Amino acid sequence: MQNRLIVPSGMSRRHFLGHLATTAMALPASQFFSALQAREAAGSQQKRCIVLWMGGGPSHMDTWDLKPESEKNGGEFRPIETSAPGVQICEHLPTIATQMKHLSVIRSLNSKEGNHDRGTYMMHTGYAPNPTIVHPSFGSACSYELGHKAGEDFPLPHAIAINSPGEGAGFLGMAHSPFFVSSPTADIANMKLPSGVDDLRMGRRLQMLGLVEDGFGRQKRGQAAADHKSVYLKTVKMMNSQYTQAFKLDDEPAAVRDAYGRNNFGQGCLMARRLVETGVTYVEVSLGGWDNHADIFATLQRGNLPQLDKAMGTLVGDLADRGLLENTLVVWMGEFGRTPRINQNGGRDHWPRSWSIVMGGAGIKGGQAVGATDKDGVDIQDRELGVMDVIATMAKAMDIDLNTQYTTPNGRPYKIVDGAKPISELI
Amino acid sequence: MVRESVMHGLNFRKLIGWLGLSLVLACPVSYGQDSTETAAPEGPEPTVEKGKLPNRLPYIDEMLEEAWKEAKLTPSANATDAEYMRRAYLDILGRIPNVEEAYAFLSNKEPNKRAKLIEVLLANPDYPKNFASIFTNILIGRRTQVQDVDRGALNSWLRQQFSSNRPWQEIAFDLLSAKGSSKENGAVNYLIANFADQRVNLTSSTTRVFLGQQIQCTQCHDHKYNDWKQQDFWGINAFFRGMRQRPLERVDATGALVRDGTEVYDDPTDEWARFERPNALIGIVPPTYLDGRRIDPGLDTDRRLELSKFITESRNLQFSRAFVNRMWGYFMGQGIVNPVDDFGDHNAATHPELLDQLAVDFIASGYDVKALVRWIAASRPYQLSSTMTRSNEQDEHLFSRYLLKPMSPEQLFDSLITATSAHKTAGEAPDKLRAQWLGQFVVAFANDEAGESASFQGTIPQALMMMNGELMTKAVGGQPGSFLSHVVDQARLQKKIQPIRYAVDQVYLAALGRYPDPKDLKASQAFLSSNPDTLQVVQDLFWALLNSNEFVLNH
Repeated sequence: MQNRLIVPSGMSRRHFLGHLATTAMALPASQFFSALQAREAAGSQQKRCIVLWMGGGPSHMDTWDLKPESEKNGGEFRPIETSAPGVQICEHLPTIATQMKHLSVIRSLNSKEGNHDRGTYMMHTGYAPNPTIVHPSFGSACSYELGHKAGEDFPLPHAIAINSPGEGAGFLGMAHSPFFVSSPTADIANMKLPSGVDDLRMGRRLQMLGLVEDGFGRQKRGQAAADHKSVYLKTVKMMNSQYTQAFKLDDEPAAVRDAYGRNNFGQGCLMARRLVETGVTYVEVSLGGWDNHADIFATLQRGNLPQLDKAMGTLVGDLADRGLLENTLVVWMGEFGRTPRINQNGGRDHWPRSWSIVMGGAGIKGGQAVGATDKDGVDIQDRELGVMDVIATMAKAMDIDLNTQYTTPNGRPYKIVDGAKPISELI
Repeated sequence: MVRESVMHGLNFRKLIGWLGLSLVLACPVSYGQDSTETAAPEGPEPTVEKGKLPNRLPYIDEMLEEAWKEAKLTPSANATDAEYMRRAYLDILGRIPNVEEAYAFLSNKEPNKRAKLIEVLLANPDYPKNFASIFTNILIGRRTQVQDVDRGALNSWLRQQFSSNRPWQEIAFDLLSAKGSSKENGAVNYLIANFADQRVNLTSSTTRVFLGQQIQCTQCHDHKYNDWKQQDFWGINAFFRGMRQRPLERVDATGALVRDGTEVYDDPTDEWARFERPNALIGIVPPTYLDGRRIDPGLDTDRRLELSKFITESRNLQFSRAFVNRMWGYFMGQGIVNPVDDFGDHNAATHPELLDQLAVDFIASGYDVKALVRWIAASRPYQLSSTMTRSNEQDEHLFSRYLLKPMSPEQLFDSLITATSAHKTAGEAPDKLRAQWLGQFVVAFANDEAGESASFQGTIPQALMMMNGELMTKAVGGQPGSFLSHVVDQARLQKKIQPIRYAVDQVYLAALGRYPDPKDLKASQAFLSSNPDTLQVVQDLFWALLNSNEFVLNH
């Protein structure tokens, strides 16, 4: 790894860190977008992925798989037509409805895990939790498998999680664990130089650090010394890079920011678009508040549905307009669905047995509904699919070899896709 | 609760009725093989005797040297005093030495000063503090989500045990058989943290932590890589069947009823463990130890007490091996069996005779934890340099060089505080600031997912925090109360050497536990001469040292 980050030619290693600090920061912000466009032209075939993570377990019966005919389970919301003929979704998702031609709903997922932690793990990795191994999340696998395709000098992490930390990289190593942005409208923690330290002074600090690092490294004490330096190089490169402008939403016109919705999920989706645009491989944006055991209809109508609608609808349209959707996979999912039955508190409980997720972009055929549940939304009637089928489809869309296999540190085999095929209707 | 267990009993009898004879045949019952304390452990004869314990075990060096010879390896040179001091402080106290401690050791001319250092460290209150923190993490993890766990109570209970050098056998026995309030008996918090899901976590954690054996795969199926059977898992699980917990309450000063911790207790039970086999049939098993011994599963049996005896009895060599190997792995950077808690045919020991001899001697010592620390710290492999020789570059398993260890989040934090006194900068309450920062560090630096990885698993947010974070800014800002401000004052007051040279010496000693070598001095000189603001240069130098690989790696 560290070899990729070693000194540019014509510069002595000794001055590398210091050099980075003093010159890169001098690049004016106005050059950012031309740099972006250059990357866009160069890396346009590179696949990217945005996962919209619905924390708490979103109710599929009130979003993508409405059952107005079911007297006991139907609930309060009505379906509406969408830009995909024959595919109806919830009336409170009108913006998304205009984009359904790009998206397909899978209505027959059986994910088996009904506990928040286990379901979250399962949907992120494709595997049930197992104490002997920490499986890499799909995002970390994307970072590991695809990140380097964006160029060795790409200065941002290739897995980024916004609003909640996402799932880790397991044995692939912390370098591929999602970089966590806790709030899309706040500064990235510790990215700014402390007061009293200007670029010049930081340059001197880094130059001194370079001397100490190299002095210790020359003593041949092991790989960890070099690995440490490599993390610092990456960090300094990121700090100094104009690409970090992608984290700063102030550049966007107020109308665009409004369209995404002035809340953490909406602004997070906007940041996700900016990040994939710069060449980041995987971005996950979380919207919590889906664990609606009580009073589900009023709660969703008031909060999550309008937020989701504006953000996701605007995001998909924006990606399509910018020509990014062809190479950007968009997936909407949570840890499980919610019971068709409405409980005594007017809520729905955990339900992994037959629920829905949505995906589109990166070559996924849009405008379809795959699979179906029965008239009360309880049993899968057609085309039962498992989580690994979803992971296989995502991997295929991302151009990850479906036979990719690693050996874990304790010598056991691990496959990104295990015993499943991509969903044929979508590929 | 009692009602519930009777219900289970009824169901169980009904189940027997359904499954009939085949079930009983699958689990022939044979009680009455009481565990006996008298039997000696299998394995070699002990070389030590309680009451006359040596500070060194020469056979450690001999056995390793033989292995090096066989592999045609030249071991690394001996570590310098500075290197040895820094690693001993980090390993035993969980922090680097402060400047006074470093100065005292480095200027000491006594020939046996390393052995004396170990005694000084084992008597330092930071020793029990450090080991309590390590074992709290081992027992309940860094980030347990279980709300009822009183982490502080467990930590302070463990600190008392290590402080009085209580035998490991007794500590383990107490942890497994603990009863009572989570506030008053800190030991029960291990059980509370692992209570969920029918004691499944408790079963796997107990065998992993105390026996170094990972039987958790066998919760659902027989093990693919070794001999563990699904029945072994549920046989251990059955010992926990009667264990219960309930919230405790008390009346507070205003007369209101408030929550007051959690109580762990046991209901008498005659239940067996039931489990689903991969073929969807139901298996049942009474409380059964891993070697097949069973106890009377009747209502009068205190099952956890019996399990605690099975695990900790002195004929159980594996119990001793597991602890010795864990400690070896902690000090040496790698277990004789590695990972330290994954014993089995699938994962052979690199030096099985050494491990068994140490395990037998640890039992003979009366499970004396401090004695074990002395033996390891006095051994040749622990005193080797981490700088490789040409012939041992490839050696990862024979301990022919000291392996680099990244500091744990706790070691890193305590070392930064030791080096900088950042928490004493004016205007802040030191304890509050310390607690707040420690929280940030554990969140940013703990990566449980990688386990005890020897590779450096740094991340960008960690590096950002070290470079630009609040602690570092206070540490090198030179505010009154900080180490740096003290050094600047002292540099002016002392008359022995040039003030700036004094300051450079002190920041090296504080951060790296050594004096600057000629190359370091030359570089510092260059920076100083190119910048008129010498104070700023000293601050920047301190910053660079604290951010360096040499600082964050235990070498």
